[in-house]
Amino acid sequence: MSNLEKLGIVIKYEFLKHIRRRRLYVVLGIALFVELLVLILIPALLPGGYPKSVMVMAAMLTVGPSLAAIGAVFFVGDSIAGEFESKTGFLLFTNPIKRVVLWMGKYLAGFIATAALIVFSYIIIAVALLVIYQEVPVEILKSFGICLLYASAVLSVTFLFSAVSKGSMGATVMTLLFIFVICGILESVLMATGKPYWYVLSAGGDTITMVFGDMTQIMSGLGISSGQFGNMMEIYKPLSIGMAVWGMLIYLVVGLVMSIWISRRRQLA
Amino acid sequence: MDECIVIENLTMYYNKFLALDKLSLRVPAKENIGLLGPNGAGKSTTLKILCGLIRPTSGKAYIDGIDVVAQPEKALSRIGAIIETPEFYSYMTPEETLTYFGRLRGMKGETLKKRIKEVIALVKLEKWGKIKIEKFSRGMKQRLGLAQSLLHDPPVLILDEPSLGLDPRGVVEFREIIKGVGKEKTLFFASHQLVEVAQICSRVAIINNGQLLAYDSIADLEKKYQTLEQAYLTLTGGSGE
Repeated sequence: MSNLEKLGIVIKYEFLKHIRRRRLYVVLGIALFVELLVLILIPALLPGGYPKSVMVMAAMLTVGPSLAAIGAVFFVGDSIAGEFESKTGFLLFTNPIKRVVLWMGKYLAGFIATAALIVFSYIIIAVALLVIYQEVPVEILKSFGICLLYASAVLSVTFLFSAVSKGSMGATVMTLLFIFVICGILESVLMATGKPYWYVLSAGGDTITMVFGDMTQIMSGLGISSGQFGNMMEIYKPLSIGMAVWGMLIYLVVGLVMSIWISRRRQLA
Repeated sequence: MDECIVIENLTMYYNKFLALDKLSLRVPAKENIGLLGPNGAGKSTTLKILCGLIRPTSGKAYIDGIDVVAQPEKALSRIGAIIETPEFYSYMTPEETLTYFGRLRGMKGETLKKRIKEVIALVKLEKWGKIKIEKFSRGMKQRLGLAQSLLHDPPVLILDEPSLGLDPRGVVEFREIIKGVGKEKTLFFASHQLVEVAQICSRVAIINNGQLLAYDSIADLEKKYQTLEQAYLTLTGGSGE
């Protein structure tokens, strides 16, 4: 039996896990709720209703970075740590399968589940834009592509945390802290001091929205003048997509390789 | 006589704790060997190394001549194992679990379905085949553990305290199943239950502090020490459980 066949079997049964534990449905529900919230709150809070520009509305509806982080902690946070913590590894690891195949299968199942979540969210965005503006900007495809890459990078980082932590809760906390706190602070400080920040993971996440226009365009589209933010708008220089892609690819490859390397050496004593 | 399990100078440290101290042991094919010793003697460590769950600090272990460290997948294809109290994916049913593990072992289609029915019937879980494992008691998980270890009809069975958590009827039924399958297979079996070991195994290896103290037939040990229990207590320094 080939490793590829075994990989397919692991993906199938890991994906079954996401369905059976209802996590997939929960995150799909969260995505729907968030998009509906944006669709309801924007016309309620902005004096002129929905923004005139379809690009601004598309940017407002794009919640990809948050969905990627939620998907990562829900779907791969316990992928590796869970086998050791709940001791299911005592059964799984006695099967004749290479550990690298096993871990890759778990990662890919998590990616498929997260991708399903992202696809669902972009379908909602496209339908909403079509209904409100009768058009869907082509940039949505670029945003979708970057979002998938960002999700794969966040999953890689979460996978690495899962490989080094004793329990799945540790991996979840580490991921959320890393993405929302550490990366957020680092990105803001580097940005404010004019230093390069393409290598900060959350910067890649920002690019998902920035394909619809830079911060100044989006803010002015919402009727917010740049003067309200002092000189922040002047300092802020959006990351080029090329640089963002490089940054995310590094996290994807390094995170995945390191997590598999560590997991292969981890022993179930 | 062919040797199915070969352990050579196996040494295992957990940080500074010496769990196995140059342990050597040879298990002939189709023999049932009991592995006895007090808690912390090194029984589970030995079995975990044989199952590729941990790597020894030094020494070698072979299953049917296959080095378990160098070729773990090949060695594992020859083994059926229960290590510690088996924990399953609670969201799956026994049939799904056995299908998953069966597929990973290259089984499929009607052959796999038929075999799953057989092993589920063997461990008397017929009525529970389609129920999620989250509803199972410890004893039922133990039965399912035995079913998965027998699923691919392996030539070698490695069992670590397999009847732990079973009710008295379960223990008797379990013992009968193991006795039955043990006639055709090599059985390497760690237990604290001396009565159980005496009923299932022809020979026993007694270890303590990671060292082999005795490896003999039960009959010879009884001749020498009067009873298996006395042999165990004497060899392990009267600290047996």
